Amino acid sequence: MEAIWSWFEWLYEAHGVNLSIFYDSLDRDRFFFGLLTTIRLSLICIVASVVIGVVGAWLQTSRFKWTSRLVQGYIQFFRNTPPLVQLYFFFFAIGGVLPKVPDASGHMVPPIGNFTWAAISLSFFAGAFNVEIFRAGIEAVPKSTSEAAEALGYTRLQSYIYIILPLAFRVCLPSLNNNLVNLVKTTTLAYVIAVPELLYVSSQIWSDQFNVREMMNVLLFTYVGLVAVLVFMMHRWEKTLKIPGYGR
Amino acid sequence: MSKWFATICTVFLCLVAGAGASLADTYEAIKKRGKIVVGVKADYRPWGYRDPSGELVGLEIDMAKDLADTLAVDLELVPVVGSNRMEFLNQEKIDIIIATMGDNMKRRKVVTMIEPNYYAGGTNIIASKAAGFENWTDLKNQKICGIQGAYYNRRVLQLYKIDLVAFKGVPEAVNALQQGSCVGFVYDNTWIEKTLAEGGEWEAYEMPFETEDPSVWAIGVRHEDADSPFGLMVKGKVADWHRTGWLLEHEQKWGIKRSPFLVEMNEALKTRAK
Amino acid sequence: MSGARKHRSVGGTGNLAVLKPFSLHNAAPSAWRLQPGHGYMLFAALVLFVLVGEVQAAPARPSIIATMWKWTPFLLQGFAFNILISFVSIIIGTMAGAALGLGQISVSRPIRAVSWTVTQFFRNAPWLVLLFYCIFLIPFEFELFGVTIPFPAWIKAVIGLSLPVMANFSEIVRGAVQSIPDGQWEAAESLAYTRRQTLWLIVLPQCIKRMLPPWMNLYAVLTMATPLVSIVGVGEGMTTTGEILAAENRSDLLIPFYMYLLCLFFIYCYPIARWTISLERKFAVKI
Repeated sequence: MEAIWSWFEWLYEAHGVNLSIFYDSLDRDRFFFGLLTTIRLSLICIVASVVIGVVGAWLQTSRFKWTSRLVQGYIQFFRNTPPLVQLYFFFFAIGGVLPKVPDASGHMVPPIGNFTWAAISLSFFAGAFNVEIFRAGIEAVPKSTSEAAEALGYTRLQSYIYIILPLAFRVCLPSLNNNLVNLVKTTTLAYVIAVPELLYVSSQIWSDQFNVREMMNVLLFTYVGLVAVLVFMMHRWEKTLKIPGYGR
Repeated sequence: MSKWFATICTVFLCLVAGAGASLADTYEAIKKRGKIVVGVKADYRPWGYRDPSGELVGLEIDMAKDLADTLAVDLELVPVVGSNRMEFLNQEKIDIIIATMGDNMKRRKVVTMIEPNYYAGGTNIIASKAAGFENWTDLKNQKICGIQGAYYNRRVLQLYKIDLVAFKGVPEAVNALQQGSCVGFVYDNTWIEKTLAEGGEWEAYEMPFETEDPSVWAIGVRHEDADSPFGLMVKGKVADWHRTGWLLEHEQKWGIKRSPFLVEMNEALKTRAK
Repeated sequence: MSGARKHRSVGGTGNLAVLKPFSLHNAAPSAWRLQPGHGYMLFAALVLFVLVGEVQAAPARPSIIATMWKWTPFLLQGFAFNILISFVSIIIGTMAGAALGLGQISVSRPIRAVSWTVTQFFRNAPWLVLLFYCIFLIPFEFELFGVTIPFPAWIKAVIGLSLPVMANFSEIVRGAVQSIPDGQWEAAESLAYTRRQTLWLIVLPQCIKRMLPPWMNLYAVLTMATPLVSIVGVGEGMTTTGEILAAENRSDLLIPFYMYLLCLFFIYCYPIARWTISLERKFAVKI
């Protein structure tokens, strides 16, 4: 291992390619922690936004006019405003007025930290798109199917969970994948509220080492790689969940 | 946005007339276009910030104005932040940096620092009195706000093992401090002193430590201007500001606490002039 | 998008009666969808936030509404720059994306492969990273035919935003061309049209209609990405808001001012979203 690290040091000295994330232990720790944070943030947001999508789509089918109106207001607000400003609004504006709580060492801290705010804000943003995606999927399920479920004694919630959702989910998987890939790309925004994800740690490193060019290329390829892994997994999943006889 | 339209027009004029932007001699270039472009802070009261009409004002803006007057050219101010100012200078987006830039060896590799320096500050933190910090070592594993690209980040990270939460600019870091996302904000002591003097919301805060890592601030120019007429002219101007007490006067005008560095420089240069 | 199309075409064949034709936007039967009412609700929320802030504010300070009014011209200037950036980026991105999209359906295998790779790469890279990349790594000027073309930061930011727009539009073009039934190509061929003639005279004119709604969608996404340029040091609405807050130095202004900025974006993007959906319905392919 040491040999590899020192090879990168040689690379810098001999050719000026400064990949400090390999030979400098501080930078290395920072970078891999950043990678881990990005993955963690992405996974949390993916799960949370899908849950928001499922619940939101169910609420939209509600018989109460105001429930669906509220959901619709949420969707339109989050779809038509910049996610960056949303993040600022959540972290600085809302985060600033919440009552503070004492932490382990007795400091008064806000109840929600920057990582959590990033997760909340990005999940709501992606969730707004997911609601629409799931709703479209649900509308693709014929009414006769839910009528049949009702005839078999399913309640509205039961038929949603056991009958409609599994069908709708498979239909909207392609659009869902698209949105989730976008979500992973959007996690870079957490940079602005100092969540130590990939972009943030990279900017710290290039400020210290003046190796913008190298870090930029590392960053670009890391993200394209991450997205490629996600796309690959989602495609496998899509294939497994394919409804037989439907689609090509 | 007239500034932007001016930029667009300049771009197109350059395209049409085929006038090169890169002239070896910055002095000639400034004279030729009749305008000096200065990179300044827009979020650092009272050195460079916005008034309600959107105009940039502050001590460093006064310095830029004085420089433009001396050259008898117009002044264009470009707001910069810590992480982009040196790139802007070397890409010739700006002619000169007057943006609270600390002078150190690593930066000297990238840009030329004009000597004499025009101000001196050090690193300190602003924290709520309730936190009860007494020593720099108390900061271990504490969440401390900071600014992206600040030169002291690496030092305090390694020395005191703080958990640095770095933001793009001062407003973000201050908000994060006020809402308690971090227990302190590591920054220049001059800014902290000025802010604490404002009172109000800041009465519950303090600057608990001795200022460390004294660092002088310098105007930055490109390396090729180190000994060019432009560079020499700026050097002479800074020395003048010190000697005539111009800096001391303006320090007072903008309500900055009297800095020993400026008094010292004023004395030294005054006697040397005699 | 691609999923929507696939299922729509298959739904007509009726080989399984489990699902109806699936589409993201056309299947919106509800009358309450996208009404100005949501705009009013947003405005009401803004007023509410301002009033709450007003109550909290210390009496000695100028009122929040007065402060917001004082800074409005400056904020609008910043927001106007967001719109300017979005216009320039969509123009550059659309032109480059059209070329790349046609490359993706080229008969030449290498061109197709290169276009596909470029498209996928820029589609899958985060916008913010591309922005950083362009800001830091594009040289500040180019020599072209002996003429030096300067590249100020905001132009580099525009290029940075154009790259993902280009890649997404490339996919829109490819998708639209492939949504034209093969039968039309075959019919044109039997009428002795060359490939180029078929593409320009028969296929592309039909594609324009199909590309318009996703293109407008892309524009809305782009507009909402423009605040990103503030992170790389190019001034716009977000920068303006930050500078106002720094100048005022009052924590009670945070919510009203960020809400104000959100409202500006909403007022601009919401009508575009409505219009997109109405066009989508109008141009929907009937099967």
